[in-house]
Amino acid sequence: MSTLLHKPSAAREAGGPTALPEMSDTRHAAIDLRQVSKSYGSGDNVVRALRAVDLAVAPSKLIMLVGPSGCGKTTLVSILSGVLDADAGQVNVFGVDWSKLSADQKTRRRAELVGFVFQSFNLIPTLTALENTCVPLIVRGMRERDASERAAQALKDVGLGDRLRSLPSMLSGGQQQRVAIARALVGKPRLVVCDEPTAALDGKTGQQVMELIQTAARGKDERGEDRVVIVVTHDNRIFHYADHIIEMEDGRLKKTLSQHVRDESHHVPSFEEDDRQQERPTSAV
Amino acid sequence: MYRLALRMLTRDTGKYIALVVGLSFATLLICQQGAIFLGLLKRSTGALQNIAQPDLWVCDPYLNFIEEVRPLSDRDWERVRAVPGVAWAEPFFSSRATVELPDGKYKTAQMVGIDRSTMVGQPPVVTAGSLDDLRAPDAVMVDESSREKLANCQIGDTFRLNDKRAVVVGFCQVKLGFESNALIYTTYDNALRFTPVGRERITFVFVKVQEGRDVADVAREIRERTGLAALTRGELALRTINFILRETGIGINFGITVLLGFVVGLAVTAAIFYQFTLENLRHFAVLKALGARNRKLISMVLLQAMTVGVIGFGIGTGLTGIFTLTGRRPGAELAPYFPWQLLVVCAGGMFVCIMMGSLLSIRRVVTLEPGVVFK
Repeated sequence: MSTLLHKPSAAREAGGPTALPEMSDTRHAAIDLRQVSKSYGSGDNVVRALRAVDLAVAPSKLIMLVGPSGCGKTTLVSILSGVLDADAGQVNVFGVDWSKLSADQKTRRRAELVGFVFQSFNLIPTLTALENTCVPLIVRGMRERDASERAAQALKDVGLGDRLRSLPSMLSGGQQQRVAIARALVGKPRLVVCDEPTAALDGKTGQQVMELIQTAARGKDERGEDRVVIVVTHDNRIFHYADHIIEMEDGRLKKTLSQHVRDESHHVPSFEEDDRQQERPTSAV
Repeated sequence: MYRLALRMLTRDTGKYIALVVGLSFATLLICQQGAIFLGLLKRSTGALQNIAQPDLWVCDPYLNFIEEVRPLSDRDWERVRAVPGVAWAEPFFSSRATVELPDGKYKTAQMVGIDRSTMVGQPPVVTAGSLDDLRAPDAVMVDESSREKLANCQIGDTFRLNDKRAVVVGFCQVKLGFESNALIYTTYDNALRFTPVGRERITFVFVKVQEGRDVADVAREIRERTGLAALTRGELALRTINFILRETGIGINFGITVLLGFVVGLAVTAAIFYQFTLENLRHFAVLKALGARNRKLISMVLLQAMTVGVIGFGIGTGLTGIFTLTGRRPGAELAPYFPWQLLVVCAGGMFVCIMMGSLLSIRRVVTLEPGVVFK
């Protein structure tokens, strides 16, 4: 594990971000955000949600984005998952530059690249667990029968093999979130974005859900390549699942903590602050 | 994806039923109002529907509608008979009459007198008794649906018609006129006796055109030679309907009601479906975030709209059909008329308004930012 910083000004001078030990060149970063800004509103009411954010993330990582409400966490994950456009800057996710795609192209690439887990699950209440899990596959054009087989396996993987025909209303919060995780992973996406996945769950269920998400972070995408899982959270009980924790404040990346020592016996996390993070609001993990 | 769209629609039972019920009643409102209006107009031409034999109805040129009485003289009748191309011409009498029932009550009736030898203008269906009996002095035949109005009279019963004795010799089934008065058939001679009039006593002269002759040519010939109007059944029906629409308050008053029914029905339909989409907007945003393209989402919305539209329209027209059949029973004061043309117009209207509702919905879905899933 390592936490390293871009040196933005130097990087820009050299024509690219600083080389990283794990990523010899950030051009190979799974996620590469450069000078990304986003504002809402206009005139006196303008809210600057992101201020020239630089971020590079290596594959096979579980990143947690933390920070107070309104600091820009959700805006950041919305932009890097391609559901929101940045006002300025470059957003490159697994080689896809979102800013260069039309809305339709973006939607198509999102179907291939990104899986979502939401705080409020966002399951379609009139569809069964199996049908909800099928959606990302059917959206990609898979036949319903094939999609069902794969979705059933995904649900078995999250321990819901016996609840395939259950509607969301028949499931507990934890079970619904597990369906959402199955839905997020069934298409074997390279990027999984989780927005407060444990916020609506009790502590024990939250831990179970995080274990699934952590397993997902170690999993592979459809082509057998590493994936990145980004979790937006306020829940400090789950911080220890992260490989890196990026703290945001006022639209900037404030600091990055990397898991330094994992005490397996007590499962007590220990994070080391990267002192260089204090210098610039830029991070590479 | 389409199966999922239908499941999203039908498994939300409450909203689905509300949607279908709303659309059914919107359809019922549109179709039923239209059917009543058309029925009213059709009823105004009731006498025309009862008499099929003549090619031309010769009448006073200023006659406005079929139930108006602008009598012609025997001389007019003779002149019409003399027009080349006329195979036969027979007089027809129609007038209001007062019936005094055995219990002393009075009823207004429409009395129709037909030629006693040819029986041209006879009732289309005789349900009891014989048409020949009508030739007897004082004999009348009563429309089945009018029996109740005339104290449930039976064959052999007598009542006073314009203060003269009349004997019921049979019953028939005919279309009532605009005023829905009891309808009584008798011969032309009897009618003149029941209703003393001056020299001009013929309401219409029925004309049959000789075989091989053009009806329009003969009609023109009659107009030129007699100065009278010679109208086909369709022309007289049109003249009657035009008069009712333009010269009575019915056209404007009922027309506004029908139009309002139509507009309200359409607006309700559009609003109901738009509301349904709004309530599902978040789910569409989720689908969009998961990679469903706008084209696919539009197809889903249209499929949902067409599904509820077809089901709602089917139920609505079914209910209108039941309403129409109920209104068709003999003696019913309501006379809804639900021709296929009205069905097509209503279907077109419903389609337009479902499309309107869908377009509003589609606009919301297309402009929907998938980012709302994080909110």
